[in-house]
Amino acid sequence: MRHLQIFVIATVVGICAAVTASAADIKVIANPNVGVSSVSADELKGVFLATKSSLSDGSHVEPVLEKDGPVHEAFVKEYLGKTDSALQTYYRSLVFTGKGSMPKTLAADAEVVAYVAKTKGAVGYVSAAASTAGVKTLEVR
Amino acid sequence: MQVKTIVLAAVLSTGPSLLHAQFDFRIDNRDIQVHSFASQGFMYSNQNNYLTMDTSRGSFALTDFAVNASTAITDRFRVGAQLYDYNMGLLGKFHPQLDWAYGDYKFKDWLGIRAGKVKTVQGLSHDVQDMEFLHTWALMPQSVYPIDTRGDTIAHIGADLYGDVPIKKLGSFSYTLFGGKRPNDADGGYLYGVDTMSHVPAPQGGFMYITGQTKDVTYYGGPVYGADLHWATPVKGLLLGASYMVQDITTTGHYTKPVVVPYKLTTVTDNATEFYLEYVIRNLRFAGEYRSEPKIVQLNQPSGVLVQGFQDSRSGYVSLSYRFTKWLELGSYHSRYVDNWPVTHSDPRNHIFDQVFAARFDINRYVDFKIEGHFIDGAAIDGVLDHGFYAAPNPNGLAPNMHMVVVRVGYHM
Repeated sequence: MRHLQIFVIATVVGICAAVTASAADIKVIANPNVGVSSVSADELKGVFLATKSSLSDGSHVEPVLEKDGPVHEAFVKEYLGKTDSALQTYYRSLVFTGKGSMPKTLAADAEVVAYVAKTKGAVGYVSAAASTAGVKTLEVR
Repeated sequence: MQVKTIVLAAVLSTGPSLLHAQFDFRIDNRDIQVHSFASQGFMYSNQNNYLTMDTSRGSFALTDFAVNASTAITDRFRVGAQLYDYNMGLLGKFHPQLDWAYGDYKFKDWLGIRAGKVKTVQGLSHDVQDMEFLHTWALMPQSVYPIDTRGDTIAHIGADLYGDVPIKKLGSFSYTLFGGKRPNDADGGYLYGVDTMSHVPAPQGGFMYITGQTKDVTYYGGPVYGADLHWATPVKGLLLGASYMVQDITTTGHYTKPVVVPYKLTTVTDNATEFYLEYVIRNLRFAGEYRSEPKIVQLNQPSGVLVQGFQDSRSGYVSLSYRFTKWLELGSYHSRYVDNWPVTHSDPRNHIFDQVFAARFDINRYVDFKIEGHFIDGAAIDGVLDHGFYAAPNPNGLAPNMHMVVVRVGYHM
């Protein structure tokens, strides 16, 4: 009976761990032409909320998002302080008033890395375990 | 006619599943984004015909749609435009209008300029009040966001200076300074109200109807300028803000009954001040706005006598909504409009109070369905603006209370 309880608890914890992620599980990446090696949390938030179009080195930046999944959910919650639904509402308000564009949204880590690698000024996020060849990793202060 | 609107509603409901991708293309190596939205509504009220719709019998005459295209010319310079079309009861009439069209140059994050026909930033939602897919509600609080005068108020032809200024531990400020000319929605509620019914100052303040007069208005417009300041406070999820606007509107035309003589209504003063807040914690959103707009207008009566009318309208609402799941959001708001603050507020001719309970269902990422109940107290028939309660569609008079169901389905991509 005791083994069964441990098994159930371990299973539940394992499932939760599999479907949730935290800031520690996220890597913020940028195109190599972005001049900085670190950004503040406020700067990162500004980039993804389209209130900040350049970083401290003056380089133009544009956000790249993942479509959904635990890494996306965690990034939006931890760094932007929003739910995915609220973020989509925010972007739509920019698009339909002409104050901004819908950011590039891609399905998986590999697609984000590939797009950021080839796009000047692109800033994105992927899971910490993702291969990030061709892009630079930004430290978030 | 109702068959047509039902068919349109069905198309709007099923179309998005065929169009569930953002429509982008490239010209001259430049990305062009194209987005659109549409919505179809239904309203049924137990009393009165609201917003010029035949709501007492149930009406589908609430349709709108828009399409926009935008692109970045450089890292700092964007251009875009949106076409908008609507029909609501006797208003709109499916005559398309240029909703916004402008160039936007951002010198720095703290300084940008937009010029052209620009959506006016005021309060929490002024510039996005018509995008039903952004809100919990099928019908926004009409005290602050009257849908029948949307075309006259939602944008200005002129320019904005804007920017975002982070202040370290104090959060960040977003400001907008704007100025320009008020556009003229020839099929909007203001001109419909002026054409079909005359108002003169009432002895106790405010205005009263003169049913024996009709007009043909040929011009409506004037300068408008103002400012808005949003403060994203250090308290997570808390936004505070204030707005101020001055407008000088002139309306000209001719009386057509009882005599054909020129008609002119001018603004002596019209200054609107607004305060607002929003607090979001996880899936819970609380919002509130308060607006004060004292104004003095001057108009000539058919006899040629000039009269002045003073009106100090106050309006506001508080709302609470909660998203339970990705597909379900419930909410409620209480909206209050007092047409002339110094006059007795309890008089139903001087107020509109609206208690609303709403449910929003997100069918998928692009389609939503809403149903809400309105419990409306008052009809504010003494207003210089009709606020949905027009005399012409209610020839037997207006009841002081009514209940209403609003259903709306919308899509965007």
